[in-house]
Amino acid sequence: MSSARQGTAHDGTLLEVRGLTVRFPTSDGVVQAVSDVTFSLSRGETLGVVGESGSGKSVSNLAIMGLLNRQRTAISGQVEFMGRDLLTLPQDELRHIRGKDIAMVFQDPFACLHPMYRVGAQIAEAVTAHQDVSNDAAWARAVELLEHVGIPNAKSRARDYPHQFSGGMRQRAMIAMALVHNPSILICDEPTTALDVTVQAQIIELIEEVKREFDIGVILVTHDLGVVAETANSVMVMYAGRVMEYGPARQVFEQPQHPYAWGLLDSMPSVERRLSALVPIEGSPPSLLAPPSGCPFHPRCRYRFEPCPTERPPLVAPVPDAHPDACWLKWDDKVREAAKRSVTRLGDAA
Amino acid sequence: MRTTPSPPHPVSGGKENHYRMNRHIRYAAMLLVVAAFAALAAGCGSKKSSTSTTTTTSSGGTNSAVGSGTYDNGSSKKGGIYRIGWEQSFGFTNNFDPTGEYLGNAWGLYSNLMLRSLVGYKHLPGAAGNETIGDLATDVPKPTDGGLTYTYTLRDGIKWGPPVNRAVTSKDVAYAMNRLANPKDGGQYSFYYTDIVGWDAVASGTAKTISGITTPDDKTIVFKLTKPVGDFNLRMSMPATAPIPSEVGDCFEGKPGDYGRDVVSNGPYMLQGMDAVKLPCSALKPASGYAGANGNHLILVRNPNYDQSTDAYRKNYPDQFAFRVNSNADDIFAQVKAGTLEDEVSSPQPKTIRDYATDPSLNPKMIPNVGDRTNYFTMNLTQPPFDDVHVRKAMNWIVDKSALQKAWGGPIPGAIANHIVPPVLYQNGLAEYDPYATPNHAGDLAKAQAEMKLSKYDPGKTGKCTASACKGVLVIADTRAVDTRMVPLLQADAAKIGLTLTVRSINGAYTTIQTPAKNIPMSERPSWGKDFADPGTFFSLLFHSKAIIKDGNTNYSLVGITPAIAAKVGAKGNLTGVPSVDPDIDKCQGELGDARTTCWENLDKKLMEQVVPWVPYLWPNNVFIIGPTVTHWNYDQFTDGPAYSSVSVK
Amino acid sequence: MTLYIARRLVWTIVVVACVLAITFAVFYLLPAGDPALRFAGKSPTDAELVQIHKRLGLDRPWYVQFGKFSEGFVVGDKFGWPGLGYTYAGQTSVKSLIVARAPRTLLLIAGAAIIWLVVGVAVGVLSAVKRRTIVDRAAMGLALVGISTPVFWLGLMALFIFWRQLGWTAGTGYVSPVDSPTGFLSHMILPWIVLALLYAAFYARMTRNNLLETLGEDYIRTARAKGLPERSVIFKHGLRASLTPIVTMFGLDIALLVGGAVITESVFNIQGLGYLAINSALQQDLPIVVGVVLLASVAVALANLIVDILYAFIDPRVRYA
Repeated sequence: MSSARQGTAHDGTLLEVRGLTVRFPTSDGVVQAVSDVTFSLSRGETLGVVGESGSGKSVSNLAIMGLLNRQRTAISGQVEFMGRDLLTLPQDELRHIRGKDIAMVFQDPFACLHPMYRVGAQIAEAVTAHQDVSNDAAWARAVELLEHVGIPNAKSRARDYPHQFSGGMRQRAMIAMALVHNPSILICDEPTTALDVTVQAQIIELIEEVKREFDIGVILVTHDLGVVAETANSVMVMYAGRVMEYGPARQVFEQPQHPYAWGLLDSMPSVERRLSALVPIEGSPPSLLAPPSGCPFHPRCRYRFEPCPTERPPLVAPVPDAHPDACWLKWDDKVREAAKRSVTRLGDAA
Repeated sequence: MRTTPSPPHPVSGGKENHYRMNRHIRYAAMLLVVAAFAALAAGCGSKKSSTSTTTTTSSGGTNSAVGSGTYDNGSSKKGGIYRIGWEQSFGFTNNFDPTGEYLGNAWGLYSNLMLRSLVGYKHLPGAAGNETIGDLATDVPKPTDGGLTYTYTLRDGIKWGPPVNRAVTSKDVAYAMNRLANPKDGGQYSFYYTDIVGWDAVASGTAKTISGITTPDDKTIVFKLTKPVGDFNLRMSMPATAPIPSEVGDCFEGKPGDYGRDVVSNGPYMLQGMDAVKLPCSALKPASGYAGANGNHLILVRNPNYDQSTDAYRKNYPDQFAFRVNSNADDIFAQVKAGTLEDEVSSPQPKTIRDYATDPSLNPKMIPNVGDRTNYFTMNLTQPPFDDVHVRKAMNWIVDKSALQKAWGGPIPGAIANHIVPPVLYQNGLAEYDPYATPNHAGDLAKAQAEMKLSKYDPGKTGKCTASACKGVLVIADTRAVDTRMVPLLQADAAKIGLTLTVRSINGAYTTIQTPAKNIPMSERPSWGKDFADPGTFFSLLFHSKAIIKDGNTNYSLVGITPAIAAKVGAKGNLTGVPSVDPDIDKCQGELGDARTTCWENLDKKLMEQVVPWVPYLWPNNVFIIGPTVTHWNYDQFTDGPAYSSVSVK
Repeated sequence: MTLYIARRLVWTIVVVACVLAITFAVFYLLPAGDPALRFAGKSPTDAELVQIHKRLGLDRPWYVQFGKFSEGFVVGDKFGWPGLGYTYAGQTSVKSLIVARAPRTLLLIAGAAIIWLVVGVAVGVLSAVKRRTIVDRAAMGLALVGISTPVFWLGLMALFIFWRQLGWTAGTGYVSPVDSPTGFLSHMILPWIVLALLYAAFYARMTRNNLLETLGEDYIRTARAKGLPERSVIFKHGLRASLTPIVTMFGLDIALLVGGAVITESVFNIQGLGYLAINSALQQDLPIVVGVVLLASVAVALANLIVDILYAFIDPRVRYA
């Protein structure tokens, strides 16, 4: 099963997102869901997108997939995939990419599968959506994929309904459904949040296996740093619809540069650090209708000072070797604070 | 947990003002739609701006709105189908079985089209229509033996229709009378014939045939009476007395009502499908032309055995009469107007009457006729405050009859009533008799108050009733549209003399007021029409003490009640001093000719001036509306309906 | 599953028996007056009333009458099975009356049902898909009109406009399809539409609301993410999930109309079961009322049963609950 290498740039870049901005007009005002998001994704790369709910991480991916209603949403920016800007493509062309070249796995597999159709039928449907094959062939492929993702007795289980599957199995089935056409990119939106802890690990491992086997790019959206710490190659931290910090995972974890990232690491339980009380970030995420002026994080930031409330910090690397962050703090302050929270990931030791 | 914010509103970014304007446009559009519908409804409702100019004067309670009762455009001819829309359901009281059938509309069919009884009528409007002729009999005989014997000779050439197909004989008449007397055969007005010798024996089950009826030969029948009955000939014109062939009649012995589906005809028309009906009884099936009282059609076709030369008064133009039930009364009149129906058995609403009255092209198609009927408020002589004659008289003074007439739709639906029996039944006698005449029939407060002051319920002589008996007096009304219009008028009038009326409106009020044990003080509903053209059909059943029965009582005022009768029927109240007119009625019943008429007229006056059981307010006309294809139509005064035997269709 | 059906059938019989008993009790025990008087004409004698009571079977106490009726119903009377007795007014068998009229009512319901289901669901889908556009607002506005307009007004207006003024359809009345297919259609088209309009409006709103709710579900997003054409998403995924309450309602609505389409039947003079029942009640012709009530309650009970079974087929989650 070879993976298509179409549309890959010479350095293996699959997806380039530049300045992605998404706004929803409502009767109460305009919701600024995503503002000026920029990142890229290459083959074999897992990009971990981290942030609280309402940070815009899911909306960005929906925008990339073209799952937002264009008539009711203002989307600007560029999403370059296979040499084309997905944001300018007409809907029917986008449909041919969706589910075929870019596939998405969602958070709650129980709600994400149609309760009235058999699991196998739903996967077979994904097959026939982009390929003109017989129903039998599509069903065979569905069974094959279910086997591949580790569902025992795939042939008979394919005839079951979603409510007869356990949570973990359902997520495996969703992943199987996403892999039907060997997509280049797999977007996983909180794939483990609704699952038991033991099952979570299995699913993450499955995603990693799939990535290696098919040599694809994975965007892994989560609010759980632990998940990201294990598997991501790069990390993007989002807050209030903006990117706060973006860089290689090792760098972000070993030398976090943004107060929000510090707060996230502080609130993450870890065996590495000395056992101290968990420190949550005070306050709550801002309303996206009227985001704070200046730095969106400043109302909750312990380190805020004079420029923060009035001027928005751009996403730039503070020094040439560092990764970009959006914070006015001086580099020395950042280094000092980072040192307190540096996390050495398992597997990165030495 | 859904992480996707749901995209809510239609306009893309930055155009909030545009959105708000859209909202206003939205509201405006909705208002426009509503307004359009309202305009449509209003426009359709008042298609004709009814200026309600009545074509006749409304002063005087005479029948100034009634014309000749005839429509004729000179082109009557044989042929065609005469289609009649019948409102709601047939409503037959005995499933069209003539022995017990009491519905006036059914009599219209029998008398005009199907059953020739010994005595008949000319099927004309007005007084001429109430004159008796010999129909099955050669003529209307005078009684012999001091009024105790009536001998009839049957006409030649009258034959039964299928499946009997033979000449009608006197034995057939006797058979019908025996059937009428037999309580198991469902007769509903046998009380008219109890004076025939031997009747009671059959009625009580001790004899099978009436000894007082003899048939010396096939063409002669003799009736002997126990006492003179002045209107006996009239009684022999009713459909139950028409002959019945025993070949078919015996099949229905003891099964009242069933014969209605196989009525054998000796007249010009018969039930459709009678030619397919076979004897003997075991093979007998109902005729297809009539499906029973719960059905919705009754079709009459020509009787092949009928001989027109034996009949001087029936014209028999159409080939077929099709009566069909229609649940939508408005639609009946719409169809009549559109020409898909010729005639209707229904009551035109005031709006229809107005339309036809004001449109000159439609006016000739609306034909009001004097109906031999009185509408009245009845007062129970045993219940306070109506046990006081002064209160009853005061009610007659105070009621605004012109307003009530308006509630019925003006002078076309009816003339204002001033006494018990409509003048036409006295051959226009008592036409000017109005014992409680008030200016413009609007009631006279002064006279009412003067009368009230004489009452024991007004001890302070205020002119208004002050006793507690006058507060919350129970009145039973019906729920028709016209009742809802009349009730407030009645209440307002009564209040002027201190009576507060508590009105209970009941669908089908008759069943309630016909039970004396309920002791109802007053009813707004009653209406009484003649059975045949003799005032006795009013007085005997309305004011004789013998008519007071436990169920189905029609002497609502309980005139002539005694404590003994009250105990029998369960009535309670003030039973002392209730006036009786029994001797007057009995005397008039024995009279003949003009003496009889004068006797009834005097009884009418006595009742209005001394007994005062009613407030009569309307002599309703029968208003008929005919379709554009009708070339001749006239009213039948006997049946109070269309003279089907004279109608003609294009 | 068979056990479930069997249990429900038994329960259906119990329900029908109860309805029957209550109907009898209402008519015989509540003081509505003596039906014999209605058929006795003017001023009947006591003897006449006794005879009429006997003829109508009213001389027995009510529980005896009920007993005889139940026996006749179960075993059959001289008119066949089920024995429903015979009418007071016409002395004809209730069963033959109902059998003669039932096809009219059933055909009225069938035609209207097809129209309202198709139109209602189509409009509902259109409204949901074009949510908050002028199409949606107009459709829901019309639906509101359809729900609020009294049926009798609608019927009379329809007759006035389409029959009287335009002459496009036939007027009131009923023509059997066996006698004249074109006449049948011409007479039924207006009553079908008038009857369907109210229900179509309900179903449009219901479909719209259900579909909107369904379209917000996660599996719809999955379907789109799979790259399915929008048509598939709406109909195969969206409508399928939102149709279950509609189907259950459909079954019940039809059953209730068996005795309930009174106004339409009256306005259009269809002489069906509903009008028969009401008219007979007004005339106190009790056996007919009991017969129609029986039929209607059986219809409703059966519809309940069928709909419950159908639901289990449509929604697999219910099957194993």
